[in-house]
Amino acid sequence: MASEITLTGIGKTYSGTARATIADLSLAVRAGEFMVFVGPSGCGKTTLLRMIAGLEDISAGEVAFDGRRVNELGPAERGAAMVFQSYALYPHMTVAENLGFGLKMTGVKPAEREAAVARVAETLQISHLLDRKPKVLSGGQRQRVAIGRAIVRNPKVFLFDEPLSNLDANLRVQMRIELSRLHRELGTTMIYVTHDQVEAMTLGQRIAVFNAGKIEQVGTPLELYHRPGNRFVAEFIGSPRMNILPARCEGGTAMVLAAGGWRLPDGVGLDALQTVGVRAEDLQPGPVGEGAVQAEVRLVEQLGDATLLHLQVPGVDATVAARLNGSVHDWSPGQQVGLRCQADKLHCFDAGGRAMA
Amino acid sequence: MSHPRSAFGASPSRGRPQRTGRAGSAAAAWSRFAGHFAAYGVLALGAFVMVLPFYYMMVFATHTNTDILAVPGPTWFGGHLLANLDDLLTRRPRFWHSMGLSLWIALAVTGLNLFFCSLAGYAFAMFDFVGKEKFFGFIMATMLLPAFVSMIPTVLLMSQLGWINESRALIVPAACGAVGVFMMRQYIGSAIPRELVEAARMDGCGEFDIYWRVVLPLLGPALGTLALVTFIGTYNNFIGALLVMRDQDAYTMPLVLRSLQGTSGITWGALSVGAAVTVLPLLVLFVVYSRRLIDGLTAGAVKG
Repeated sequence: MASEITLTGIGKTYSGTARATIADLSLAVRAGEFMVFVGPSGCGKTTLLRMIAGLEDISAGEVAFDGRRVNELGPAERGAAMVFQSYALYPHMTVAENLGFGLKMTGVKPAEREAAVARVAETLQISHLLDRKPKVLSGGQRQRVAIGRAIVRNPKVFLFDEPLSNLDANLRVQMRIELSRLHRELGTTMIYVTHDQVEAMTLGQRIAVFNAGKIEQVGTPLELYHRPGNRFVAEFIGSPRMNILPARCEGGTAMVLAAGGWRLPDGVGLDALQTVGVRAEDLQPGPVGEGAVQAEVRLVEQLGDATLLHLQVPGVDATVAARLNGSVHDWSPGQQVGLRCQADKLHCFDAGGRAMA
Repeated sequence: MSHPRSAFGASPSRGRPQRTGRAGSAAAAWSRFAGHFAAYGVLALGAFVMVLPFYYMMVFATHTNTDILAVPGPTWFGGHLLANLDDLLTRRPRFWHSMGLSLWIALAVTGLNLFFCSLAGYAFAMFDFVGKEKFFGFIMATMLLPAFVSMIPTVLLMSQLGWINESRALIVPAACGAVGVFMMRQYIGSAIPRELVEAARMDGCGEFDIYWRVVLPLLGPALGTLALVTFIGTYNNFIGALLVMRDQDAYTMPLVLRSLQGTSGITWGALSVGAAVTVLPLLVLFVVYSRRLIDGLTAGAVKG
């Protein structure tokens, strides 16, 4: 059975530090939802996960599972299971003993325990590893055992703390698919912490973007990608990251310094405009001229399925990226380019970095 | 510009004419041989000095007192081993009882040290509590006190408790040592990941269960080393036993051996056979576990 998790006014301050790691954070995770916490290192996402798990004291606020306050309950009493970044398998136990340890601790009879372990091992395709110790397993196999240890207890909530970060790129993709399948099959509430925005986009039904101890935005992956609430989210979600350029409004056009301008979307509060953002795939390079921002090609990267142009806009420090489909050989370093962008693809931000409607 | 490395791994010195070809390589080989010879010579001398008393203990155990005191003394084994053993058992009929008592005390102290030191080390390594650092510093400070400082208080305390001549007078005060706590805290802090403890907590383990089922089974190397050091130290403890074991019935082996050195003369053959028998358990332990002892004592000294 899946649990709904409600966080209300959560705060965390470590003793000896004046500044709160997390301050007044509220969030509701729906029953059966796959929620991803994403953010840069040190933003408080793992701390919040540990507070939900019961491994960290809660300085302020309330954590509730299905409306029931669990602040004072121990980790095992909350009905949550956690998969750790380092797998945290017991090295002196076999895979079967690792899987069954939680059940043993809750007093499940050996026969029932063995049946549950066999069932989970079959689901994760690790039945042939049951007699082995963790040290002889590969990274992917260890990860499966760690997930199996969480599943076998039939928890109401799964908590994942960057579980794929120690795996190589191929295995990560494979495990992402496995985790999505598991979520579909089990229907349990899952909260997944990662700093990898690709993992967040591919796994999460909803994503909470964290920064400096607070949530910047919560939404579906595509909401965050297409309608970021502020500059931080706009830059954090998407690869390559969104191009951000300083701009001011002149007669309905966002002027990027002296390099030219793009027509602004309707309804933007023009006076407050400070920066514009545009994704690499929304920039169309062409001849220099009216309605374009002038730039110089610095580097051309052929990715096979796409071509990435790195461009320098006069007066702007950071390079601008433009992504073209397929292998394009029209551009070379040193060439002058006019960058065009449709008004509805333009993201406008005010001085505080907030998105303008 | 970097110097090319020579065939023997050393960079040629600046400003010195470099030897080349066969002459240079022969000189380097000779220098390496001389270095090894000197190093092995020093080691062999050290080993000889260490082994010599053991050898003479064994040789004296097989000779009569007259042979031992003759000039020059015996240098090879004789045929009086059983006669010396008989002499020892006549002089100290409770010899085997003392041997058993020594082994019991050493085993009990070792067992208690393994339990309490690992428990304390686990607490200091894994828990955050008020006054932790001060408390740990206080325990470490007890290592700085000379053993003689606690002699009189120990005797008075044991006397008041009525434990004189009882094995618990040697077992209880030695049940947990600062060195063991320090060693365990260092080992647990470096070898047991915090996530493992948290995983056990998520799996429903209580705090003692985590220690007993998850942490303790992973302390093998450190426990082995602590066991050896504690066992040897306790088995050899002379001063402690001298203070609280007054009747011959309560003598441990060091006291028995000392009691053979009377004012009217020393029976060297009986004393040597007693010493040889006494040292046997330690020799067996050392032969079986020397690798673990060395590994454990140097654990964490270098990054693996």
